[in-house]
Amino acid sequence: MLCKIIKLNINGSTHETAIREYDVLLDVVRENLNLTGTKRGCDMGTCGCCNVLIDGRARLSCLTMAMECIGKKIVTIEGLKSPIVHPLQRAFAESGGSQCGFCTQGFIMTAKALLDENPDPKREEIEEAISGNMCRCTGYIKIVDAIENVAKLQKNGKGSN
Amino acid sequence: MKHIDAAAHTRGESQYVDDMPQPADLLFAAVFSAPVAHGKILQLDIKEALSMDGIIAIYSAKDIPGENQIGPIIQDETLLAEDKVHFIGEPVALVVAKTGELAQKALKKIKLEIEELPVVTDPREAFANGQIIGNSRTFALGDIEGAWNICDVVVEGRCDIAGQEHVYLETQRARAVPLEDRCFRIHSSTQSPYAVQKSSAKILGLSHHKIEVDVQRLGGGFGGKEDQATPWACLVALAAWHTKKSVELVLPRHQDMEMTGKRHPYSSDFKIGLTKNGKILAYEVKHYQNSGATADLSTAVMERTLFHSTNSYFIPNVKIFAACCRTNLPPNTAFRGFGGPQGMFVIESAIAKAAEKLGMSPLEIQYKNLLQENDVLPYGQHVHDARSRKTWDEANKSYKFPAIQKRIAKYNETHFETKKGLAVMPICFGISFTSTFLNQAGALVHVYTDGSVSVSTGGIEMGQGLNTNLAKIAAKAFGINQERVKIESTNTTRIANMSASAASATTDLNGNATLIAVGQILDRLKSLAAKELGLSHKEKIVIENENVLFDGKATGWTWGKLIQTAYLNRVSLSAHGFYATPGIWFDRDKEKGHPFAYHVFGTAILEVTVDCLRGIYDINSVKMVHDLGRPINELVDRGQIEGGLAQGLGWMTLEELKFDEKGKYLSNSLATYKLPDVYFMPDVLEVKLLERIDNPSGPYGAKAVGEPPLMYGIGVFFAIRNAMRAFRPEIEFLFDSPLTPEKVLMQLHADWLDDLTNGRTVTSGKAVKAKKEKVEES
Repeated sequence: MLCKIIKLNINGSTHETAIREYDVLLDVVRENLNLTGTKRGCDMGTCGCCNVLIDGRARLSCLTMAMECIGKKIVTIEGLKSPIVHPLQRAFAESGGSQCGFCTQGFIMTAKALLDENPDPKREEIEEAISGNMCRCTGYIKIVDAIENVAKLQKNGKGSN
Repeated sequence: MKHIDAAAHTRGESQYVDDMPQPADLLFAAVFSAPVAHGKILQLDIKEALSMDGIIAIYSAKDIPGENQIGPIIQDETLLAEDKVHFIGEPVALVVAKTGELAQKALKKIKLEIEELPVVTDPREAFANGQIIGNSRTFALGDIEGAWNICDVVVEGRCDIAGQEHVYLETQRARAVPLEDRCFRIHSSTQSPYAVQKSSAKILGLSHHKIEVDVQRLGGGFGGKEDQATPWACLVALAAWHTKKSVELVLPRHQDMEMTGKRHPYSSDFKIGLTKNGKILAYEVKHYQNSGATADLSTAVMERTLFHSTNSYFIPNVKIFAACCRTNLPPNTAFRGFGGPQGMFVIESAIAKAAEKLGMSPLEIQYKNLLQENDVLPYGQHVHDARSRKTWDEANKSYKFPAIQKRIAKYNETHFETKKGLAVMPICFGISFTSTFLNQAGALVHVYTDGSVSVSTGGIEMGQGLNTNLAKIAAKAFGINQERVKIESTNTTRIANMSASAASATTDLNGNATLIAVGQILDRLKSLAAKELGLSHKEKIVIENENVLFDGKATGWTWGKLIQTAYLNRVSLSAHGFYATPGIWFDRDKEKGHPFAYHVFGTAILEVTVDCLRGIYDINSVKMVHDLGRPINELVDRGQIEGGLAQGLGWMTLEELKFDEKGKYLSNSLATYKLPDVYFMPDVLEVKLLERIDNPSGPYGAKAVGEPPLMYGIGVFFAIRNAMRAFRPEIEFLFDSPLTPEKVLMQLHADWLDDLTNGRTVTSGKAVKAKKEKVEES
């Protein structure tokens, strides 16, 4: 199939890249744009390792057509760290919410979407938000703790983006 | 202290094999595998696939320049199938293409003509056919035949224990890079770089030193990359050898699940004899391990089953038999616990059944038979520093078992649809590789002139926190800030002949090797400082907080000054440390010895609520007292405990491997294989650490933590089963794991379901209805 050149807004800047109509966003960010922080865990939307933000909502990039993302704002894990480390990134590191690290960015992007929409979630709401993300190392407790801690910090005005 | 890699993980900066910058001409591989579980290869037709655009080459067994053999213990496994295939997913050919997508596409155009042969998937059937791997083995203690006569009660039963998919979130992968002079560097997601080095050298017909294996980190391993990372690394090495280009292979999830082995399923028969007071006098067990098509690590896994078949109990008369049964399934392999959990499941089943027969609480039998100091285990080792009773007593004191039992009994009296169940799960797990020679490790430590430190060991960081532990150990030993220490990738040119990162022993072995290397450098530095400062007793010199002290007093020298001076005085600032666990041995002819440096103990109490009309259940709580010795890093260790427990709970409940009778794997994706998610975890999890007592074998007194907590998960099976018994006490429920909600429902209502499926009027529900009315009346 022929390639098309499209423009994607990723992490605040415009990227021009050649894609095929059937390319999924995961392939485009990893292969075309070398944003390898987004991980490929299953290729079928069952693990959440590839989650990115599209217009502020957590989306599985392995099931999202790149063509559909034209004109939308995409944020990958690489877009979260600037200019300073995001409180979620700090919290995951400090609480033990990240072991092998392969699922970590997917959880962080999912949590970011949650906290942006609902800055003061109950523990059950955190669980619901990350229920599509799989982690094989931690047993989830420290992940929920990390997200809860950030919510508390933000509530007390100590967190910042 | 937090995980040393965590900051990079959370920024998405950590590099896994396929995240590394790609050379412009990097090629991509895909594996064509056997579509049937047993058959004779008549013809492999690659013509059409090879003619496709972007396909560079397709390799089969005949293209292997060296020896087509990758078996780690027994040489029975080819890299690429030759004349026969033995399981669905067995690699037959390797496609190399310009992109991964093209390589995958070409797989569909490869034609394999096969004459199908009979398929065996059941280990008992394989055993009956004489299809066993290696030799069957028996551990014995006391006089089992004489003992049956003095028992008041003897019960027998059968267990069927399912396997488990590893589901490391990073699938198997490797990249081979050709270097000058026909040398190769392999970046592999392996727990065992030396296994990759040895096998790829053999495949290519090269000496070991021509292959460099480098491992930065793994996105999870859990045993699944101890031996089964090797084929993929060998395949890219083969392709790089032919094409003289870098080649990468990443298994897509469903191919990873189809092609790789899992935790071994076991089918076991038990017989247990007790006094009427619940003292176990005799225990006999026969384990039929479903090894899959090739030996892989099965004989070693079976050995650990033999070692752990009596769990935390002293039993004077024991006979344990085990055999590795060859079936037409993917070769089963290491998985956290390595055969130990299966052995422990069977003894717990035997105790559960004996308790039912004696009309006694299983807790009473468990407690009465817990190991005490100097008790002998079936393999001849006497238990030292036995903490089985200590952890049980501590757990009982903290969580009050009788009160929980009472509360549950009351709940069950007053509730009809839902029932609660409780189980206590003590664990005793031996630490050391059971093959004594593997208990060795090396560390290479450099101090640079700015005072920064580089540490290389043979250990692999796979999320378990090894690097965090090593950095802490090195910094503490030098007396410097941890920020000065960097843990390097694991590389075969820096550390040779390393054992796999496995057996929970990675921090013990590599941490001790690091301490030895640091000790050598420190000794030189102290000699120098004594000389330069005119001090007579170098043993009174210590470095604390980056300051050189003599007899506890400041000398004015800092770490920086010390290192500068050492360099100018031509003192070596590098050292290689080597550690071999002392005092361990095992005689396989006599099946006796002292194979373990020590044991890890603990006790957990688990509570569940089962919806007995629907089969679904909640894990209400898991509370434990666990023995970590003196932990190096409590945050990391607690992470291991929680994660290990989650895997154990999942293994016993949700995670169900489905194969059809033709050996086809039906649960080959995360849509069909249920993994614990955030909702699955216990509502309450309490982890208490036993009082901190130094473990003489561990670095800084620590105990190994990787595998043991998984085995607390076994308790959830018995907790659910006890809740089921509260609902239908007349049914003898099976010891058949995992106990999925489906199986709970089918067993609770087998009579109903039988009537329904046979179109008969449901009659046997009457008893239940009557019972319900009775409850409502009360």
